[in-house]
Amino acid sequence: MDFRFTEDQLMLADSVRDYLTGTHGPEVLRRLDAEGARDPAIWNGLVEMGLTGLLVPEDQGGLGMGLVDAVLIAAECGRACVAEPLVDTAFVGVPWLAEICDTADFSAVLTGDRKIAIPHSINPWVADADGEPLESVDPLRKLARGSGEDDPYLLDLGALMSAAQLVGIAGAMLEQATEYAKIRTQFGQPIGAFQAIKHQLASCSVAIEFAKPVVWRAADALDNRLASAPVHVSHAKVAASDAAMLTAETAIQVHGAMGYTYEVDLHFWMKRAWALAGAWGSRAFHLARVDAAVLGGAHPAGPAHTFD
Amino acid sequence: MDLNYTEEQKAFRAEVRAWMEAHVPREPLVTLECREGFDQHVEWERTLASGNWGMVTWPEAYGGRGVDLIQWLIFEEEYFRAGGPNRANQNGIFLLGPTIMEFGTDEQKARFLPPMARGELIWAQAWSEPGAGSDMAAIQSRAVRDGDHYVLTGQKTWSSRAAFADWGFGIFRTDPESKRHKGLTFILFDLNTPGITRRPIRQLHGDTGFAELFFDEVRVPVENRLAGEGEGWNVAMATAGFERGLMLRSPGRFQATAKRLVDLYRQHEAEASPAAREAVVQAWGAAQAYAYNTYAVAAKIMAGGKIGAEASLNKIFWSELDRSMHRTALQLLGAAAELKRFADGSMNQWLEGYIFSLSGPIYAGSNEVQRNITAERLLGLPRVGAG
Repeated sequence: MDFRFTEDQLMLADSVRDYLTGTHGPEVLRRLDAEGARDPAIWNGLVEMGLTGLLVPEDQGGLGMGLVDAVLIAAECGRACVAEPLVDTAFVGVPWLAEICDTADFSAVLTGDRKIAIPHSINPWVADADGEPLESVDPLRKLARGSGEDDPYLLDLGALMSAAQLVGIAGAMLEQATEYAKIRTQFGQPIGAFQAIKHQLASCSVAIEFAKPVVWRAADALDNRLASAPVHVSHAKVAASDAAMLTAETAIQVHGAMGYTYEVDLHFWMKRAWALAGAWGSRAFHLARVDAAVLGGAHPAGPAHTFD
Repeated sequence: MDLNYTEEQKAFRAEVRAWMEAHVPREPLVTLECREGFDQHVEWERTLASGNWGMVTWPEAYGGRGVDLIQWLIFEEEYFRAGGPNRANQNGIFLLGPTIMEFGTDEQKARFLPPMARGELIWAQAWSEPGAGSDMAAIQSRAVRDGDHYVLTGQKTWSSRAAFADWGFGIFRTDPESKRHKGLTFILFDLNTPGITRRPIRQLHGDTGFAELFFDEVRVPVENRLAGEGEGWNVAMATAGFERGLMLRSPGRFQATAKRLVDLYRQHEAEASPAAREAVVQAWGAAQAYAYNTYAVAAKIMAGGKIGAEASLNKIFWSELDRSMHRTALQLLGAAAELKRFADGSMNQWLEGYIFSLSGPIYAGSNEVQRNITAERLLGLPRVGAG
């Protein structure tokens, strides 16, 4: 029993964070918003880091890592508000295609020539797919109408990776609101000195810190294909969505009127949170799955069932 | 990440389970907050000690089992799974014991720890004063050195377990010129020493658990001082750290409540509101989240890490979860929520539990203080007004 990431896993996540901090700041999001949402240079950078091959098996040229590695990277993508379809391609598409033994495109995934967008019946639209376009509230999310597969494993992959991005997004929004509260002065002091601000931000911290281990646990459960994995994935999606929604609303409130402008970068993260909170199964859908398992009795409750 | 128990851990769980199933009282004990109930709980401490289950985390040299944190979590899960009673010795196990191990002399360790482990010495804590609650550094009670004694004068309040406990521990101002955190000293005292008056305080539920303590020229030998004169604040903060940190409230307790809530929901499903239903599901999820987080922190500490201001997040989370679970239970009970005993004669433990849960966000540092700590030490927001 050891509920920790390995040093290697944390180092990889740190290096992705450093890379994205250096190359994918808010100015990039503003540029993408103005110029058309996708930039091959950003995609190529992610490909060169080897991230598209993270879950491709080693004998097919990939890194052969697992979902526990991938959720940490997905969280970093959320934190940096990455719009390129890395998570959908590499952390949802690749393991799904591996599952159905459709690995013909893996070499093109490794080189970055193939992006994967898999429709699922739970989503009436797909990000970064061809088809009749739909406009998302998230200016960097490119949607197309369509639905398709009805596979539960694919759904769990999509929901898990959305949850992982959501905890990263929530952390970034909390950081932005905290930094703003340190520099914005009113009544002769930084507004972050007021307990009314402190306590709201502290509550976001609580929600995020207790959502994270639920997501990590879900990743481990799905990676090991536990029978209970869908319950844990749904638990993760609800916890991460709730933390992100709370933090989004708090962050805009802390920014005051500035938070209501397009000029402040917060809106990119907030809108991504809104989008992902509903993607790959709504809150109601995932709550109902937990409800059915726990109240229905299929999943045991109580102490001594922590890791069932 | 390996979320499987080892064979050794599974065997330990089986051992705890077998012992608890054989020894945990079938009927719930009378509340700890009255003489009869306190005595029952002390008796239970001695039963635990007879199986050497009283202080599992303590080193064997002091009467414990020296188990690691994962085994401690397993122990607690099994304890609450079996419906084990509240611990009369809570203050000793998790607060004073570790503090004596860290700061005490060899003589103090030999004198106080083994009787605590045997359940023979029950401790009360004496931190707060009428003018020093959340602002604990405002302490005014004095300890004046007189030869080989300190003479204690002043008043402590909200002293938990003090109505019936044997000994107490607290901090007193030894330097009359000192202000705030300086000049405080950590002192242990026999609650039956002449000059100490205990005035039990009737709590919200009508029983007496904590008490006011009045000190009128109480002579305490110098050897009852823990650590050096003037070092009391740091010792107390270490104690408060243990309390808020990992060990005050183990996840098994809340998972057990969540389980009982699920069972209660099933009995009341026909008339339950959708909102109550969602609250039950969320309670299960939050209790699980608290458990995952605790396992993660335990793994970090076992690998040499420390728990710092993150402890404040824990305290906020479990105390608000506990209150919310009991509130939901009362909603499910409907009209029966107000009954102290149900029609079948059984105690309404949800009502008792709800009342107790209201104290969670207040004691051990109010949740407002915890949110300040979170904001200032974890998020780095400016400190204002704290000395």
